[in-house]
Amino acid sequence: MFRIALKGILGRKARLVLTSLAVILGTAFLSGTSVFSATLNKTFDDLFADVFKNVDSYVRSSQVIEADFGQEERQRIPVELVDLVAKVDGVTSVTPDLQAFARIVGSDGKPLGSDGQGPPTFGGIFMESDVSLWTIAEGKAPVGPNQAAVDQASAKAGKLKVGDTVKIIGQAGSREFDLVGIASYGDVRSPGGATFALFDQPTASEFLAKPGFIDAILIAGDDSVSDTELSRRINEVLPTDSKTETLTGAEITKETQDQIGSALAFFGILLSVFSFIALGVGCFVIYNVFSISAAQRQRENALLRAIGASKRQITSAMLVEAVVVGIVGSAVGMIAGIGLSQGLSAMLRALSIDLPSGGLTVPSSAITQTLIVGTIVTLASALLPARRAGKVPPLAAMRDTAIETAGPSRKRSIFGLAFITAGIGFVSAVTAGADTSLLGFGILGVFIGVIILGPVIARPVALFLGRPAARFRGVTGIMARQNSARNPKRTARTSSPVFIGVSLVVAVTALASSIKGQIDSVFSEQFKGDFAVSIDSFGFGGLSPSLATDIAKMPEVAGAAGLGLITAKLDGKGQYISAVDPTAIAGIFDVGLVGTTYADLTDSSIFVKDTRAEKKDWTKGSTVNLTFANGTSQTFTVAGVFDGENISDYIINKSVFEGTNIVNFDTSIFIKKAENVSEDDARAVLDKTVKDYGQGELLNKREYIDSRSGNVNQLLGLIYGLLFLSVIIAIVGIIITLLLSVFERQRELGLLRAVGMTRQQVRTTVRWESIITSLLGAVMGIVLGIGLGWVIVFALRDQGLTTFSLPVSSTIFIMVMSFVVGVMAAIYPAWRATRVDILNALATN
Amino acid sequence: MTSPTLTAAASTSGATKIYGKDDSVVYALRDVSVEFYSGQFTAIMGPSGSGKSTLMHCIAGLDELTSGSAIIDGNDLSQMKDKELTELRREKIGFIFQSFNLVPTLTADENIRLPLLLGNNKGNEEWIQKVISTVHLNDRLTHRPSELSGGQQQRVAVARALASEPRIILADEPTGNLDSTTGAEILTFMRKAVDELGQTIVMVTHDPVAAAYADRIIFLADGHVVDEMTDPTAERVLDRMKSLGS
Repeated sequence: MFRIALKGILGRKARLVLTSLAVILGTAFLSGTSVFSATLNKTFDDLFADVFKNVDSYVRSSQVIEADFGQEERQRIPVELVDLVAKVDGVTSVTPDLQAFARIVGSDGKPLGSDGQGPPTFGGIFMESDVSLWTIAEGKAPVGPNQAAVDQASAKAGKLKVGDTVKIIGQAGSREFDLVGIASYGDVRSPGGATFALFDQPTASEFLAKPGFIDAILIAGDDSVSDTELSRRINEVLPTDSKTETLTGAEITKETQDQIGSALAFFGILLSVFSFIALGVGCFVIYNVFSISAAQRQRENALLRAIGASKRQITSAMLVEAVVVGIVGSAVGMIAGIGLSQGLSAMLRALSIDLPSGGLTVPSSAITQTLIVGTIVTLASALLPARRAGKVPPLAAMRDTAIETAGPSRKRSIFGLAFITAGIGFVSAVTAGADTSLLGFGILGVFIGVIILGPVIARPVALFLGRPAARFRGVTGIMARQNSARNPKRTARTSSPVFIGVSLVVAVTALASSIKGQIDSVFSEQFKGDFAVSIDSFGFGGLSPSLATDIAKMPEVAGAAGLGLITAKLDGKGQYISAVDPTAIAGIFDVGLVGTTYADLTDSSIFVKDTRAEKKDWTKGSTVNLTFANGTSQTFTVAGVFDGENISDYIINKSVFEGTNIVNFDTSIFIKKAENVSEDDARAVLDKTVKDYGQGELLNKREYIDSRSGNVNQLLGLIYGLLFLSVIIAIVGIIITLLLSVFERQRELGLLRAVGMTRQQVRTTVRWESIITSLLGAVMGIVLGIGLGWVIVFALRDQGLTTFSLPVSSTIFIMVMSFVVGVMAAIYPAWRATRVDILNALATN
Repeated sequence: MTSPTLTAAASTSGATKIYGKDDSVVYALRDVSVEFYSGQFTAIMGPSGSGKSTLMHCIAGLDELTSGSAIIDGNDLSQMKDKELTELRREKIGFIFQSFNLVPTLTADENIRLPLLLGNNKGNEEWIQKVISTVHLNDRLTHRPSELSGGQQQRVAVARALASEPRIILADEPTGNLDSTTGAEILTFMRKAVDELGQTIVMVTHDPVAAAYADRIIFLADGHVVDEMTDPTAERVLDRMKSLGS
């Protein structure tokens, strides 16, 4: 029987190719994403091993506040410590290090890099030493307050050359520098696509951070003692009140690698979630191909049964085929995945994100994972069709038809409806107050139910969707409509991948449009001003608080208020805290204060988001203890709650920072123009002021509100991109099914051609069948996707998402796209159908 | 039955069909020149491999001659492109095959009108109704092929072949899959189509009884036309076949 199975495989190469294709695609995404993640990890590991290659010891502040998403805010240390460390026995070189926000303006006046998107823009210290990775490629090192150097990639992108005057935006505003040098970083033009502006230490500290302060000290020793001993000696000379810690080179390397590693791990998980979705969609295609091939081989199998093969032998023969297809397909998929990951890297390069040449890393775990998962998935998908193949009665060999004709059973309807009912039951239980975690079961129940019910729904829905085709495309349309309904099981299985893909896309779109709608309405309500200055500086500072006060003084302006953001420790955990000037912000930005006014916000009081206060059981008069980044603590009294949207759940008065060394920046400035000034006039002067300052971007009310939804769009784009994988598999699924159907209907096609169907008409018939199938999946997907979106929005109501909005235009767009998908998927099968040899088709019995 | 003025609905001259190449060439047809007259029922007979099916396929434009020509209603098939051939088959030729004649997804009525529907042609409704009643299908029109018996299916096929009032109807063993009673019924309808509706039919068969329904029989052997017979009976045909050694 084993030999028969193998012969069966080799005898039908076309079918083997088609089946393997589904496996290849499913596994290619799996291996591609794991290879890509591994390569990225390795690249960054190597990069940081390289960065700290000559660093034996590392001194930094011990004062740190960790916030969500692994971000942390560490205090800076005074530069005087450098001299103390330099005197330690065994130290050969000390280098002050600083990395902060800076943006280089190109020769065309446009700042390099972008706000909030793509790689970050940095500024730092250039100092020639054993431990510095920067080397001057051209010109000389910057010295003094008027000189700067930039990295090679930025010089090229900004058309800057040595001798030019370059404008750079830093924490202290924007300034012009003499460009004296162009620097290269190890062997790349710039690390990871980031831009770098470099200065001497005093200039960097003053311009980018705080005069006299640096991030860390990099130390190289003479190797007379171990790194641990060297670090111990250094630590001894540093005064305890300077609150520093000393790490060995190995420790800081490991820490940085781990930090990047965990950030990448999140990305890796995201990628693999979507590759598993793609694989799941691939399962349907594999299952479908095996089902069809079992049906097409019914007579052959019946003959084998008639001459003495047992049920088990028939089933095992098909399973052997599945294993072979699984192994071969996964192996090819593995290789295709490596190509895919290279493609991803190439795409990043094209977006000028220059990754250091870490080379390709193919972890053995990726190989075994891909092969095992691919084979198991194929085998599992083939299990049911194989069992069904074994059940074929020997008498079927004598029967005429070899086409799957069985209609959907009553059992199927009952099961499907039961799952859907249970699913809806879970969802309604949650809306009635049950735990939100039950929603997952509800969604799963409905999805499984719909997939089980698929064959029952497929026929009526396909007939309905096919109506226009039958109406307007004459007999070809009639045949297409009937063809898509003639085998409901097959049609349902073919449209399932489309269904899953579309429902996820619609759900995500519905969620995004709800979030955007919410942002829109909330900001429209809260923001009473006319303009805003907005900045995204990657967590490295923000707008200088002086900009808001400067703008407020302008005659064209009635008022301006900066919204500051700092990180502080609350109950041991880092939290974002908003800081406002209560007198300035009143009447310009209403955060939704409940039963209180901005006037109540004193030096020692705090406003808390209503949901947060409820959770913490705080009321007016409760006390909250905050520890700031400089290590000082202060107790605040809750003065009231707010129910509006804000970047953080806490608001304090900016005057808290007066006379302290707590660094604070504004993330936005809200502006109200004077009444007698026209919008255009106000914009003109404000724009000039902001541009002169060199930080942030001036937006009017509408633009500002739209920019708040920008992040949602970005995330949406990423998710669309990842779901695109599933869509490709869905298209391939339609192609495969259509091809197999075309093979199966050879005689019918031959007959039609003989009695006068032109090739054009053959193509039309196949194309419309494809379109109907694709639309079937889309319609079911849209219905379920909207439901799913609603459920997700409902689950997020505690996070402040209160309104569900239906993405009407996107839904229409998806319908149009599934029409296009249908047309595209039909191209090759339709061409094959026109190539049917009439005589051969009529001769085969 | 000979009418005073016989015109050819279809003809071949010097038709030769060779399969294979070099050493392994097989002559399916050797220099066959025949005419199929309008208003006549002609049968083509011959043993297996005699070339009778090939001859029919070449007349139908389903297969290409190696040399010589096949002409239908004045059109030289060798000069026509695929699209023109398709339209010729749709408009001027009716087909009846041995089995699998009907499109399973279409109703009997749609199957009958298929060539007209494909050509976006309404057809002659009066004629179509006449054809349908001639083959007694009036009460079966909304059924799909799977709901019809073998004989009924073949009657639908006959009706389809007639529906577009073609210049010529080509039938390939139309009764090969039917029992003798049903077969006789189909052949009677075909006879009626010629006698009462004035149609032209060419039928390939190896059954002497079926061939006896024809006005004229052409005998093929080894790709040659070896004999011809008019107003045949089953016995005479059987004798002739024996002498041809089939």
